[in-house]
Amino acid sequence: MTQDRRTFLKATTAALSVAAVGACAPEPSERTDPAAGVRRLDPSLLRNVGAHVLPSELGEGGREQAVQGFERWAAAYEPVPEMNHGYGTSEIRYGPPDPVPGWAAQLQALDLEATKRTGVGFAALDPEAADALLRRHIGDAGSAMPSPLQADHVAVALLSWWLSTPEATDRCYGVRISPETCRGIDIAPREPEALS
Amino acid sequence: MRRRIEEADVVVVGGGITAAMVAEKLTDERDVSVIVVEAGTESAPLEKRFERRQRYLDYGENPWTDDHIEDQVALGIMSRSMVVGGQALHWGGTTPRFTPEDFRHRSAFGVHVDWPLDYETLDPYYQEAEERMGVSGEQGPDPLDPRGAPYPMPAVPLTWTLERLQEWVTSAGIPTWTNPVAKNTRPWKGRNVCLRCDTCNICPTGAKYTPDFTFQQLLATGRIRMHPRTLVRRLELEEGTDRIHAAVARSYDDPDVDVVYRAKTFVLAAGYAWSPHLLLVSAQGRYARGLANSSGLVGRYMAGHRSVSAFMELPMRLLPGMYFGHSLISKYFQRPTVAGGPGLPRGFMRHDFRVWESTTARGPRLRGEDGTLLLGDDVMADWRARTVTGTTRLRSYYDIIPDENSRVELDTSRRNRFGDPLPTLRFQDAPVSRDLRQATEDRIRGVFEGLARVGNGRILRTSVDDVQDHPGGGCRMSDDASEGVVNSWGRAHDHENLFVVGAPTMVSGGCSNGTLTFSALSLRSAEEVGRDFPARSRDGVASDA
Repeated sequence: MTQDRRTFLKATTAALSVAAVGACAPEPSERTDPAAGVRRLDPSLLRNVGAHVLPSELGEGGREQAVQGFERWAAAYEPVPEMNHGYGTSEIRYGPPDPVPGWAAQLQALDLEATKRTGVGFAALDPEAADALLRRHIGDAGSAMPSPLQADHVAVALLSWWLSTPEATDRCYGVRISPETCRGIDIAPREPEALS
Repeated sequence: MRRRIEEADVVVVGGGITAAMVAEKLTDERDVSVIVVEAGTESAPLEKRFERRQRYLDYGENPWTDDHIEDQVALGIMSRSMVVGGQALHWGGTTPRFTPEDFRHRSAFGVHVDWPLDYETLDPYYQEAEERMGVSGEQGPDPLDPRGAPYPMPAVPLTWTLERLQEWVTSAGIPTWTNPVAKNTRPWKGRNVCLRCDTCNICPTGAKYTPDFTFQQLLATGRIRMHPRTLVRRLELEEGTDRIHAAVARSYDDPDVDVVYRAKTFVLAAGYAWSPHLLLVSAQGRYARGLANSSGLVGRYMAGHRSVSAFMELPMRLLPGMYFGHSLISKYFQRPTVAGGPGLPRGFMRHDFRVWESTTARGPRLRGEDGTLLLGDDVMADWRARTVTGTTRLRSYYDIIPDENSRVELDTSRRNRFGDPLPTLRFQDAPVSRDLRQATEDRIRGVFEGLARVGNGRILRTSVDDVQDHPGGGCRMSDDASEGVVNSWGRAHDHENLFVVGAPTMVSGGCSNGTLTFSALSLRSAEEVGRDFPARSRDGVASDA
């Protein structure tokens, strides 16, 4: 029963999201399975975006790991989940619909606009042009880093997801703080080790 | 309507932490049959909790799925949890004791009333609750933190960051110590040691106490029966007497059958909202205002405390994220008149004091000060520049004297699937607290500002939480039947075989987390309930009562 409901919700939400993104979405005729098609983030385009939004200190291998982690995270999302109860409220909140269809369309939009403007896809743009295009598409995002689920653009979602990892915190501080990682309490008073 | 009869010596209504305390103590000490009736479902087993934790971290999902009942809603309640384990599945495990003054408002400060028992009376039950849950703590300095025996386990060690924050607070003259918690620092009753996973609302290791562990042990040894997914809808009086004859329930799985629980003693352990609610919806005969309500006080004097919080930046290197859930605590301002304390600046004014590590204003951001979109290396550079110094979170809960009209009431415009009216909670400060509110909040802000000055820091923002946290009351205790619903043991003045235990019996909400206090009160109630049953011998055979 639960699985059926989840499958139904995913398919329904995906269809609604495609309608919402309108002209940015690929032509329906390009897909044989609409629900499956819009669940997929184009791997190549996503990696191209990752090269612009993830820090260079990760190197190619680190960026690839980050993108793969984001792909796994996005694929495992179950739309409209019951959210953690806020203490101090009797309200039960539910999470957002599946963001992946919209994000997939945004990746396609980057590529389509690059092609229409320059005759080559997003991956073939020179770095400055790609960066400028990406920034235009991210648009008027606010100053706060949104949670990945609340990100309006796939590029921000990818960046936000990586920044939420323990690795990002450790890199920022240069030591192994490793938030939300289960480990012994006895070493808590020690200053965390520097990253090697 | 068909009826199914269930019988036991004691029927406990509710399956949260107070029910767990009562059921465990009763069956430890007495030869007694116990049924625990809980409206909610059984909680996720321990082996599922790493997976649930991960989805909570990844997506913010409720790690305790199905922990509420869609049409069983109390407006104004702090949490919708209605599940085996109750709200203490989600809790942070914080277990400070109240201070002696909490029980002596009238005699110490000339406000409100004294509780019908004092701190010294409750001390052994506090200790027992700490032993049963498994509490780790650090003895605070004398005389701020009186206790009759050491904590069961050593404190959870402070993190490197909390140690830095403690040095700063100490330099301002405020003594702090490690916040006591129901988390294991050594193996305890078959449960693991804390691994500071920092998701205490779902502890994946079982190091944090949750009542489901107690129930599982009691069920595994056949010492109780548990009836989940069963809503007790009313209590019924024995004809011609004031004794409770039955608790009438409906199972969500078999809703066409009334389940009638018969027992020698009924224990109402359904929390501050649903316990008074059940008494009110059980109005009958000469108890037309609700059972146990000849005083008219069922659902009144709902109590809690309000918090003032601040986020502050400090010119020191801090490394937040080592254990966000851990904290420092002080009772310095809770015991204003003890030796060396700050005194009472204007009548009755007390608050606790807590300190946490924080990432407020130190997280990564998407735009710089000039509005530039930050991506890639720019995000990291900006983040690193801003984390050269750190931030902290401060919070103080302050006393609120509850008003008589701070209430749980039946709302006949909202009903559950069975047609029962649902409760609405409205909290209200008594005039003495209302009049002092601004001055109290200003005084707490003043403490925070003083700390900022000492540390050359800057307050980023302060806020006042407008809800009354850690609620209790609604069936307050008093030795005077006209002033309370139950006596100090939790026995209803009107019904000799009915006990109300835990949070509803509290006279006031204190100014620190209340779970340990109402757990201790429940254990004291269990002692009284048990007196009607024979003692349990070592081999499990009953001996003389």
